[in-house]
This record gives sequence, structure tokens and C-alpha cells, in this order.
Amino acid sequence: MVEKKVSMRSQDPNQRRVLDSATRQRRLTRQLEALEKDNFQDDPHASLPQLAKRLPQFDESNEPNEQGKRRKKTRGDHFKLRFRKNFQALLEEEDLSVSEGPNYLTACAEPSKFPQRHFCAVCGFPSHYTCVSCGARYCCVRCLGTHHETRCLKWTV
Amino acid sequence: MSALVLDNGAYSAKIGYARDGVSIIPNCQFRSKTSRLKTFTANQLDEIKDPSGLFYILPFQKGYLVNWDVQRKVWDHLFGKEMFKVDFADTSIVITEPYFNFSSIQESMNEILFEEYQFQAALRINAGSLSAHRYFHENSSELCCIVVDSGFSFTHIVPYCRGRKMKDGICRINVGGKLLTNHLKEIISYRQLHVMDETHVINQVKEDVCYVSQDFFKDVETAQLKGEENTVMRDYVLPDFSAIKKGFCKPREEMNFTGKYKTSEQILRLNNERFAVPEMLFHPSDIGIQEMGIPEALVNSIKNMPEEMQPHFFKNIVLTGGNALFPGFRERVYHEVRALTPTEFQVSVILPQNPICYPWEGGKLLSENPDFEEMVVTREDYEENGHFICEEKFDI
Ligand SMILES: Nc1ncnc2c1ncn2[C@@H]1O[C@H](COP(=O)(O)OP(=O)(O)O)[C@@H](O)[C@H]1O
Ligand SMILES: [Mg+2]
Ligand SMILES: [Zn+2]
Ligand SMILES: [Zn+2]
Repeated sequence: MVEKKVSMRSQDPNQRRVLDSATRQRRLTRQLEALEKDNFQDDPHASLPQLAKRLPQFDESNEPNEQGKRRKKTRGDHFKLRFRKNFQALLEEEDLSVSEGPNYLTACAEPSKFPQRHFCAVCGFPSHYTCVSCGARYCCVRCLGTHHETRCLKWTV
Repeated sequence: MSALVLDNGAYSAKIGYARDGVSIIPNCQFRSKTSRLKTFTANQLDEIKDPSGLFYILPFQKGYLVNWDVQRKVWDHLFGKEMFKVDFADTSIVITEPYFNFSSIQESMNEILFEEYQFQAALRINAGSLSAHRYFHENSSELCCIVVDSGFSFTHIVPYCRGRKMKDGICRINVGGKLLTNHLKEIISYRQLHVMDETHVINQVKEDVCYVSQDFFKDVETAQLKGEENTVMRDYVLPDFSAIKKGFCKPREEMNFTGKYKTSEQILRLNNERFAVPEMLFHPSDIGIQEMGIPEALVNSIKNMPEEMQPHFFKNIVLTGGNALFPGFRERVYHEVRALTPTEFQVSVILPQNPICYPWEGGKLLSENPDFEEMVVTREDYEENGHFICEEKFDI
């Protein structure tokens, strides 16, 4: 039907760059990491440096004396360091490799025994084809065209 | 002496005195581009008139409490004069934590509850254990149940035999409401309108229009039909936070299948997104997360239990957490578990009235239990014995 829209050249693996499997895996990992993000925009306070100083800071490590003035000193404050670890640091600190019995890592669900299903990266409907360049799935020539124009090799995320 | 029950979720705190009721309060802080001087805490969200582009500051990362500055701000607000006016010296707190909570987080928890707030007594426990308690309270003849807790950060499947948590059966699927909302944001932004900054708005879209399909490939076919035949398609009117305070679905009879709307409303057209998004709970591999979906993981977890207990788990599957509210969720879990289970076993899947507050209700019952005094650690105990006594008594 719309076959003519896509030139043979763009489908020819010799003409288009082909991403290796490590790059494809990296892309997938980055896509999945993006789904964990709390925000995609910048902190609306970040563009107000003067003001932001006076407000509670969250991610940066505060100067202790600056903090002390604003907030009454609590007994927990000397544990500051421990109160500032991110998930990855806490996980490594637990050192589950040596622990016995079930733990955070062993509790993760196993891979499914059912076959993988495939959906078009553009429209979300079931797909039967794989993009030669990047491994993304597509369902029809039209979606492949959109995919080439928008993501595929252009996509840096 | 009063008991304060706090199911401290990564998305919302379910909190209230056992004698009163429960309130659901956002467990985070917000910043808005329209009020650049203020950071809003918990239910101060209601003060933000235009929450478009709302910026979130969350205390949890991947379901674990990592940002104590934020958590303390929220708790100061919840416990303080604006809300629960806690008299710490005269209050026991029942507070929830995730499964396999890291030991340093557990210690920080003890310190903050006993040294900083100085609660008279505390009981730290998993939300699922409270749900199991709630379930056995009402179904006292049942020996076992298996709790599905599908919340913001992930989904846990946890078997309980009487009061006992069966650690070997605990299974975590790394799909929760946060991932679903972010995925919906991503596909809408790619297909029709840039909404990556609109977590708050799109989360509402998700809760308003998504559903769990009972026959995935049939719904796929329906969603491919044109015009009125496509009974899946919905047009969602986005809020503009002046005339339209809250988004909504256009009534079917007002839908314009052929062309654009003449009104100035901003519309999102949702089609396969409606069921493909919650589908992640059933097929995480659809987006490349190589893990079992809920029904398969349930059956797998039960298979790891002693054989004589297995029939008891199959007939006591309890669904909790916000994702259990997707229309069709219970039916789908039932049908898939049924299909994966030998016919001689009875399968029964229970969706409580309020799956979000079910753990809180369990906490309330627990605090009214005659054994409650034995289960808590008092501040005195803690001051004498430190973390050790908490490790001994609490089953996290
Ligand atoms: N009616 C609903 N339909 C679908 N999802 C919902 C609904 N209500 C709440 N949720 C989702 O449930 C999640 C919060 O569930 P909850 O069990 O309270 O999580 P937590 O305990 O991790 O804070 C959020 O991602 C929210 O979007
Ligand atoms: Mg929860
Ligand atoms: Zn397609
Ligand atoms: Zn491609």
C-alpha cells in the first residue's frame, strides 16, 4: 500500500548504520531508568539562585552552619551522613552477596516463562517487524518511516 | 494513650488515629512555577491553584526511604499543629516499611521515632503484614492468604500463614504506579502532545481512563477500528486550571470521531494506551522488564510454599495498593491464576472495599488487639537496649 514511501536504500543494512547489541542494551537500560525519574523539568527554584539559598535544599549537601541557623538542631543531626545515601549506595552497603536467606535481590521476580510479545515503538499495536538499524519494533511502513525520522539513529536518549 | 497508624507509602501517607479514621496525604513536597517562593508540603498541594508543571520532591527512591530531609518535613507537618497534633509522650505509632528494608534505614527510623519525635512506643511493620492481619481478622477460619501490594514503586506478592510472613515466598515485581504514569507520559509525548513535565496531570489521566483488559488481543482489534466502532477510544479534556479545574472524558455522544473539535479545549485522544499501560503489571516484558507479571508470580510464589498449604493460598488472594483500583484488575488476576492452576484447586481473588487503606485498617485493628502492648517497643526499652531490641521485636 504505502510501500513506495520508503526507499529501498533506507532499509538496506549496508547503507544504514547498524547499532551493535551493547548499544541497543544501553538504550533499553536508559529508557527503563527514565521511567524511574521523579521529574523531567528543572526545579522551578533552581533558576533563582539567590532565593534558593534561603530555602530548604534537598539534593546538595548543605553547609552545616547555614543549616544550623535555619533549623533547630536535632539529636539526629550527627547522623547526617547516613541520612544522605541514595538507593544504590544503601544497596551496596547491605552487601547482600554474603547474606543468607531471601533478601532484596533474591526477591525479584524471575523472567516470565511466556513468550515475549512485541509492539510497534510508534503506535503501540502488535508488530511483526524489527528495525534493522536499531532493533526497535514497527508494525507497518508508515510507522517505520516515522521511526526513522524521529528516533532510530537520531535518538540519543 | 492513643495509637497513631501511619502506612508510610512512597506516594501517599495513609494516616490517622486508630479511634478516628484514615486520611490519604501526599508523602512528598512540591514546587510550582507559579509560586516561586514556597515549597509545599504534603496536603499543602491543595493550595496550589495551578499545578501544571508541578515539581515533585519525593522521600523515597525505588520504594526505599532515602531522603530524610523531605520525609521529616512531611512528618513535621503531619504530626504538627496543622494536622494530627501528636502528643508524642502519650502516643504509640504503628508505622510501615517496605519488605527487606535496608538495615541502615531501619536504624535511622528508630532514631527518628524515639530520639527525635520521642514517641512513647512504636511498632514498625510491613504494610502487607497489616493487610494480612486485617484479612484474618475478618476471615478467622482461613489459615493462609497471599497479599498482593501493588503501589507506587513496585508490586509485592507475599504469602502469610496465619500471622507468619513466609519470607521464601516474597516476590517483587518492579512495576508500580510511578512507572505506569511515566510510561503513559512518554507515549503521549511521543504520539501527540508534550506532557513530560505534567506528572500530576497525566497521573490523573491514568487513574481516569486506564483499565485492565480482560482479553488483550480483542481490545487491540477494537482499538484498530475506525470511527464509532472503536469503543476503546476516549477523548480526554485536559484541565487548564482556570475554567476546567479537573480533566474529564468527553461523553461518548459528544465525541467527534471524524475531525477536530471547534472548542478551544485541549484534548488528548487515548486509544490502546488505555489498556496497554496497566498491561505492564501483567506483562512487564512488554517494555523490556524481564520479570513475571502478577498472576504468574502469584502462582510461582505459591508453588514455593509447602504443598499442604498451597490450596489455602489459591483461595485467599488479597489485592491491595492503588493499582488494584484499575477497573478489571481483580477479574484479570482471577482468570489468569485460574488458567495457571490445577482445576482441583479453588481460586478466589478478593478486592477489598478500599485497597489503598486496607493496611491502615489492619494497623488500626492491631493497635486495638490485647497483645499490642507486647508487640511495640517503648521508648524506655529503646533507651535501654537500643537498636537491638527493635531488631528482636520487629519483623521487617
Ligand atoms: N483509581 C486508581 N486507578 C489506578 N491507579 C490508582 C488509582 N488510585 C491510585 N492509584 C495509583 O496507586 C499508586 C499509589 O498507591 P498506594 O498503594 O497508595 O502506593 P504507596 O503505598 O506506594 O504510596 C499511585 O501510583 C496512584 O497513581
Ligand atoms: Mg503501600
Ligand atoms: Zn505502528
Ligand atoms: Zn530504528
